[in-house]
Amino acid sequence: MTAPAPPVTPRRPIVSGTDPRFVPTLYAHVGQGGSHTLEYYLRHDGYMGFKRAVAMGPDTVIDEIKKSGLRGRGGAGFATGLKWSFMPLKDGRQHIVLCNADESEPGTFKDRYLMSEDPHQLIEGMLIGGFAMRASLGYIYIRGEYVHAAERLWAAIHEARANGLLGKNILGSGFDFDLQVHRGAGAYICGEETALMNSLEGLRANPRLKPPFPAAAGLYGLPTTINNVETFCAATHIMNYGADWHAGMGTEKSRGMKLFQISGPVKRPGVYELPLGTPLRELVYDWAGGPTEGIKAIIPGGISCQLLKWSDQVLGTPMDYESLAAAGSSLGTAGVTLIPASASIVQTTWNAVRFYGHESCGKCTPCREGISGWMVKMYEKLGRGHGQPGDTQLILDMADNIGGRSFCALADACMGPVLSSIKLFREEYDAAERGELIGAGTRRWRDG
Amino acid sequence: MSYFADKQPLVDDIFSRYPRSPQGKRSALMPLLREVQDAEGYVTEDRMHEIAALCGTTATEVRSVMSFYSTYHTTPTGKYHLQVCATLMCALAGAEELWDELVSELDVQPGEVSSDGRFSVQKVECLGSCGTAPVIQLGDEGFYENVTPKRCRHLLAALRADQKPAPDNTIPVMVNSAGLQVTYSGQAAGAPVEFLRRLTDTDLPAPPPAGSEVKK
Repeated sequence: MTAPAPPVTPRRPIVSGTDPRFVPTLYAHVGQGGSHTLEYYLRHDGYMGFKRAVAMGPDTVIDEIKKSGLRGRGGAGFATGLKWSFMPLKDGRQHIVLCNADESEPGTFKDRYLMSEDPHQLIEGMLIGGFAMRASLGYIYIRGEYVHAAERLWAAIHEARANGLLGKNILGSGFDFDLQVHRGAGAYICGEETALMNSLEGLRANPRLKPPFPAAAGLYGLPTTINNVETFCAATHIMNYGADWHAGMGTEKSRGMKLFQISGPVKRPGVYELPLGTPLRELVYDWAGGPTEGIKAIIPGGISCQLLKWSDQVLGTPMDYESLAAAGSSLGTAGVTLIPASASIVQTTWNAVRFYGHESCGKCTPCREGISGWMVKMYEKLGRGHGQPGDTQLILDMADNIGGRSFCALADACMGPVLSSIKLFREEYDAAERGELIGAGTRRWRDG
Repeated sequence: MSYFADKQPLVDDIFSRYPRSPQGKRSALMPLLREVQDAEGYVTEDRMHEIAALCGTTATEVRSVMSFYSTYHTTPTGKYHLQVCATLMCALAGAEELWDELVSELDVQPGEVSSDGRFSVQKVECLGSCGTAPVIQLGDEGFYENVTPKRCRHLLAALRADQKPAPDNTIPVMVNSAGLQVTYSGQAAGAPVEFLRRLTDTDLPAPPPAGSEVKK
């Protein structure tokens, strides 16, 4: 049967999860009985995307990924096809693909279910990436706490090996590839690509100086490309359904589907697969059922993002890389968290600062002393009701000496909530300087 | 007494995951630490030396790596090591109050083990379970999620009776059996995956016309 010619009229892009043309793929099988097994995956045409990639040849795969408009789903949003094309072609060295499954950005919990419920989707994505980038070895660096997901991944890898989907000459393609799982042990910084490589090499997970970039010298000094779990899974579906299908969702510069997470006081927290460009309001109300109490701020993409004030205008923001940047924040990992009106912004930010203080690797002074030391102490002072006039200005002065002066992005990430909370909720900081905290002491731990 | 002496197949399996080079050997450090800690609850000086010898490094290096991560312990932990996530999303669901309840109910502080040897506690940063907050992780095992006061009491009672409940592994994803997401008001939205035309390996993108090199 000859396939009908695709329609030539430009189609309206899909920018809503309720659009009748929108088809969830990443999570289509998550939560279905037995979805983690190879038998289930093959029954649903699993590994067909890889077969198609082999038929295309590696360069065409990279071109297709470029054409799809896929951008890295780990937070930075770098063009995936372009990243894949950075791998040296004929250098004769072994190439490595790494999967960043550290998922340590607070508010982010999408990859966990991809790995525990549909692990073959990730294996297939890494096979596709490995094939395109001429790699023969892959590692999945999974955060240590995801024990269940790691077990499911191992089981899936054993199944894949036993069925000739990993190993030598996979499915008669002449392509050799093996995959391993490496468990982390609880450190946020391992989500930074070069810190992750150090961790995998059995070292303290301090970030490395770039350049050299991983494509030139990554894990074990070999050419390495690292992508987020969701990015590899998206590659699987781009091979399954084509670059045009992927590019038909989202906005001009943010194409495709994305796993959005929502947490905090909402009726139905969880993960929702929506096209990029879906308005924040749709996620909060149509999918998550709306807030359970008054809300004053929203974190749109994980705790490293700038806060946005809860307003009609902000709720109308399309959730894509450009629109959220224009609104003064970023898409990040698309981990949306609502901050209730009853919570003190100063204490909320203190929690975030304490997190960064704990997770600073200690390599560079601005972050180690500035955040783990001074910033945490200042916030503890304010957050415990001992604020004094001038404290907020002192925090701003410190922030000046931290932001943009650290070795990696962790310190800048911490400045996101700090600076945005001061900018948007200065009155709460002023009150905290007088020892007054809004909503302090509200009981949050409840049954039902 | 060596830990790994009678576990050669396990050691071989771990080393087989990494390249046969000094660098590759060092990669086995974290998995070996994990094995010891899961079996013994913490890692002693002797074990650090043993792991160092296996990986071709020094015990000081092993300790240095251990101190970087929050899930390795150099002091004994209880039979049930309870890790409470205290980061923002769990804090908004009452994690601080949950923590207070645990330490007072169990009469144990971080770094200590309860007098019956059962419990130790640790406040940890984001466990990646924000959709089912607040959450407690038990040792190197599963998560207990949506830990309300009532569920917390049940969990402690069960552990005191040495009847460890199965971990939750709740999946906060609303996809129905047809693969469609369901809105809060109960409507299945979008289209099923069969709606998409699955491309096959005979259905390949047209090669770019000669001379039209794809712009890098």
